[in-house]
Amino acid sequence: MIEDAINMLSNTLTTMTPLVLAGVGEIITERSGVVNIGLEGIFILSSFTAAVVTFYTGNPYYGLFIGILVGTLSGILHGFVSVYLRGDQIIAGVGYNSLAYGLSLMMMIALWQNYGQSPKVEKIPSLAIQVTEGSTIIISPITILAILIAIGVWWWLFKTSSGLKLRACGEDPRAAEAMGVNVFRTRFYATVLGATLTGIGGAYLVVGWIGQFTKFISAGRGFIALANVAFSNWNPLMAIVGGFVFGFFDALSIYLPIKLQSEFGGIFTAEANLFRTIPYVATLVIVAIIMKKIKTPRALGKPYIKE
Amino acid sequence: MSPKEIKYKLALFTRKTRLTFIIEKIRVKYVDYLTAALEIILSATVGFLIAAILLYFMGYDPYEVFSILFRYGYGNIGYLLSKSVPYIMTAMAFSIPSLAGVFNIGGESQLYVGAFVALLVTYYTVNPVLGLLAGIVAGGGLGLFISILRVYRNINEVIAAIMINWTIYFLMVYLITGIFYDPKIPHQSIQVPKSAWLGEFLSPWGRIKVSFVLAVIGALVIYYILYYTNLGYLLRVSGLSPLSARYAGYNPKKAVLYSMLLGGAMAGLGGALLIIGDVHNIDSTMSTLYGLGFTGIGIGLLGRNHPIGIIFAAIFFSGLMIGGQWVELKTGAPPQLTDTIIGIIVIALAIPYAYRMLISMIRRWRMK
Amino acid sequence: MSDREIAIEMRGIHKIYPDGVIALRDVDFIVYKGEIHGLLGENGAGKTTLMRILYGEIKATRGIIKIFGKRVKFHGPWDAIRHGIGMVYQHFTLVPTFTVEENLYLSYVSIEPKATIDDVREKVKKLMDELGLKVPLNAVVETLPVGVQQRVEIIKTLLRNARILILDEPTSVLTPIETKELFNALRKLKEAGITIIFITHKLREVKEITDRVTVLRRGRHVGTVVTDKVTQKDLARMMVEREVVFKIEKKPKEPGEPVFIVKDLWVRDDRGLMAVKGVSFELRKGEILGLAGVQGNGQRELAEALAGVRIVERGKIYLYGKDITRLPASRRYSLGLAYVPDSRRVGLIFDMNIIENTVLTNMYRVITRTRRIKWGAASKYANEVIDKLEVIAPGITSPIKYLSGGNQQKIMVGREIIREPTVFIVAEPTRGLDVAATEFIRKTLLALRDQDKAILLISTDLDEIMQLSDRIAVIYEGKIMAIGKPEEFTLERLGLLMGGVVES
Repeated sequence: MIEDAINMLSNTLTTMTPLVLAGVGEIITERSGVVNIGLEGIFILSSFTAAVVTFYTGNPYYGLFIGILVGTLSGILHGFVSVYLRGDQIIAGVGYNSLAYGLSLMMMIALWQNYGQSPKVEKIPSLAIQVTEGSTIIISPITILAILIAIGVWWWLFKTSSGLKLRACGEDPRAAEAMGVNVFRTRFYATVLGATLTGIGGAYLVVGWIGQFTKFISAGRGFIALANVAFSNWNPLMAIVGGFVFGFFDALSIYLPIKLQSEFGGIFTAEANLFRTIPYVATLVIVAIIMKKIKTPRALGKPYIKE
Repeated sequence: MSPKEIKYKLALFTRKTRLTFIIEKIRVKYVDYLTAALEIILSATVGFLIAAILLYFMGYDPYEVFSILFRYGYGNIGYLLSKSVPYIMTAMAFSIPSLAGVFNIGGESQLYVGAFVALLVTYYTVNPVLGLLAGIVAGGGLGLFISILRVYRNINEVIAAIMINWTIYFLMVYLITGIFYDPKIPHQSIQVPKSAWLGEFLSPWGRIKVSFVLAVIGALVIYYILYYTNLGYLLRVSGLSPLSARYAGYNPKKAVLYSMLLGGAMAGLGGALLIIGDVHNIDSTMSTLYGLGFTGIGIGLLGRNHPIGIIFAAIFFSGLMIGGQWVELKTGAPPQLTDTIIGIIVIALAIPYAYRMLISMIRRWRMK
Repeated sequence: MSDREIAIEMRGIHKIYPDGVIALRDVDFIVYKGEIHGLLGENGAGKTTLMRILYGEIKATRGIIKIFGKRVKFHGPWDAIRHGIGMVYQHFTLVPTFTVEENLYLSYVSIEPKATIDDVREKVKKLMDELGLKVPLNAVVETLPVGVQQRVEIIKTLLRNARILILDEPTSVLTPIETKELFNALRKLKEAGITIIFITHKLREVKEITDRVTVLRRGRHVGTVVTDKVTQKDLARMMVEREVVFKIEKKPKEPGEPVFIVKDLWVRDDRGLMAVKGVSFELRKGEILGLAGVQGNGQRELAEALAGVRIVERGKIYLYGKDITRLPASRRYSLGLAYVPDSRRVGLIFDMNIIENTVLTNMYRVITRTRRIKWGAASKYANEVIDKLEVIAPGITSPIKYLSGGNQQKIMVGREIIREPTVFIVAEPTRGLDVAATEFIRKTLLALRDQDKAILLISTDLDEIMQLSDRIAVIYEGKIMAIGKPEEFTLERLGLLMGGVVES
């Protein structure tokens, strides 16, 4: 029993990492007034480039770095389109997701002639903490980084003047501008920063968790991260909790069929798919419960138009 | 005189002689159409340009790729039209709610359920009409569900739709591989009985599938509803100005619910048409159904959310898809190219004011 | 006067917009240090544009600006702030969901990036003591009454060491009592050496508070005078340059029977608070009932409830004896009610054309039993609107956004008129319109009254109320303070009632 709990804890720590990173990143972006639903696409592209770079260099840290860079570049694109060109933020995000999906598949086929996945690559080593005889908690340094980042961002947003300025952009950009805040610049940087954090999460998918790029490596996780943003009521500390909750269901959907298989024998290839619906149903239910109690930033999603 | 002063005098002159008024008259009649056309052409050009650059870096000859793309993509008209059917439907699944101010990215799962239910119904009743109706009901029901979540529980429709998309996806894979599989053919579901297939007919342009005709009829029906009925007016007003809709006495909830019902029904019909009229079974990886919903969004945008425009955009796009497959055959370049192109076009279309902004930016820079 | 220090000197200011509109033409504007200087003009005269240039929000096409003798070129409000200029807008620039303290801190930090929130708290307390202006530091801004929010705005600019204060139509959102308080505060600031520019279109205020006043008309500088040396009539003439016709021909009329009865109406606003508290009145055929009151006292909620756009908590509404309290707006329109909202954004759909806008409240007239819309009939109605109201438009299929504000207003009013309703509810019908359009609309309203229609006129423009009404009612905080004939009200009595002063 305890073994299972420890295993689930390890798995949850793994699954929650990208959700926390992208969640906190998007909190920054949305607190400034921009909505980026292209998180899914960033996950896909960052993880893909991380896989490619790690494959060719053999060094997962290079892969991590390039994956993060891809996140930053994506943020620049979305920031430019949303803030300076006043584009429709949702459509731009949707387009970006399609683009990322198509691009990554295209390159994967071109490089490795494989329609489903990339070859395995080296991963960043995780820490193992022995708890009892025979069971250890596995935790990746990136997970720890994610939690530290969340705490840091919380402190920045709520305890510093620059955080106050950023939040003002998301509540009332006109007022912020009149108070001397450069709304365009703030929103742009917030978008880039948020996308960069998401990029860390994306790269982590390959070099910290799965160890290869697959067609369904993200499978909606970018959107679960969005649900986490709402769940956390735009508070980075709550995003850690939310990441844990959503991550738990994600881990459950993977762990449960394996566990059942080992307990009861029999192979569940078809039924395994049913288990995979768990995180999505859980997310939907959770969102349904919390949706009435949250306070959205007032100016979220509306392009700021100066007279 | 300095250029600024010339401009000043010209502005004064045009105002005085009512020249602006006459120019306004002409401009107003056509400017909206012109701008829309320009946006589409510009976005498509950007998409193709970037694709060409990518191809070049991947080691393929863009010119060769594009010529194969267009020659083979649009060569066989019958095939072209039949392949465009699901795109027409999923595009409408996005556009109808879009006109009402609702974001439906659940077209994917609405198409899945439509296809699956149609498959089951035709398998057991051998009646294609029932199958189509079942598809419409299933898709509409799922769309309605998302709108109910939004209206009564204030759940963001994007998140809800994606969660439902993935849930239905895995659910269907389970059903197809675990229960409704074809014992004789591996990795495939049960088949639609041959007598229930929607056939094709001969026309001056080749063999055209009945499903295409039905899709066009569907689009025309939607066009009629949107622009000639009370309901369509309610949807469009709610989308353009929710405050005005309230003022007119319309219940904004109705707009959300009806538009998602119609949109979902279209996607469901698309799935049913695909199964009954074209593919006749679902394979275990859902490869024939996957991605149709998302691509529909891009096509809806390309068609400017107008049913007639959507038909043309869908035909254009399916040509690209078909051409893409030929390109892979002949040159080895991956067919996901078309996905990438559409993605870029969608991003480009997200910035309708980019063109106008460009002009005003140039003006401002000149005025300095 | 030549030895007084000049705080602001603007010379030869031109502003031409890229589409050719000339907002300001060769305007000179000179303000002495420590004076309260009025900037007077009608809607569209260019007052706000001139001040926005001074504040750095927009750039002048031509001209020179000097602050305390130094030549300046502002690239944005932050430049102006650094030079000691503070602007208090008509629509406040406070973040509504932050507290007063957070707002002040946010604004202070833009000039002293290293300041902490405690620094700000100290400075604010000092300011409040010195000037006697009090604001609650920990309250969330949007919960505060408008007068207090404005005080926060003023303190905000003073925190930034503003020596020059620009106030844009500050009294348009205040009750008469709050206005008095504001003027007292301004006088105190003047004593402290602050230069104040007071933008307004209200002659009374100019006479009351300003030392000198500059008048603009259609983008041109008409003149600058010492306030004590001119009368209101002089100023009015400078503003409009014609003998202002303060009276429109109004035929005396005996009102008929009551057709619209409102009993003890209670309505909530968007925040869930009661905005209308037990309002009762009746409208009779052939009369205009003018509802006067400062913006934000429940007029909009009342109008929306009467029209059927907002639900009623308690109370009843009767049209021709029929209880319509629970009927939706579209039903009420078909029964003979018409409502022209105060905002064109609500009443019109800018991306749609004239025909489609006409149909908005006239749907029941163009629809067949199978829910099909008869566009042919709709076009006929649209043309009727254009003819009757003399609308200037490129064509009935062009989107309304290309029409001028006055023409848009005409369409909003016109499409209701062609329905020949019995009861009209109009809110702010002439807001933002030029003189010709204003006169046209007012004449139209009087014509309707002569045709035995019942009209409820909701307006913040007291002149309009006085001119047009057969009876006047005053609303304050959701209650009717008084109803009576225009002869029973002096401007002073109206002002007191609007300010909530209950009569004994």
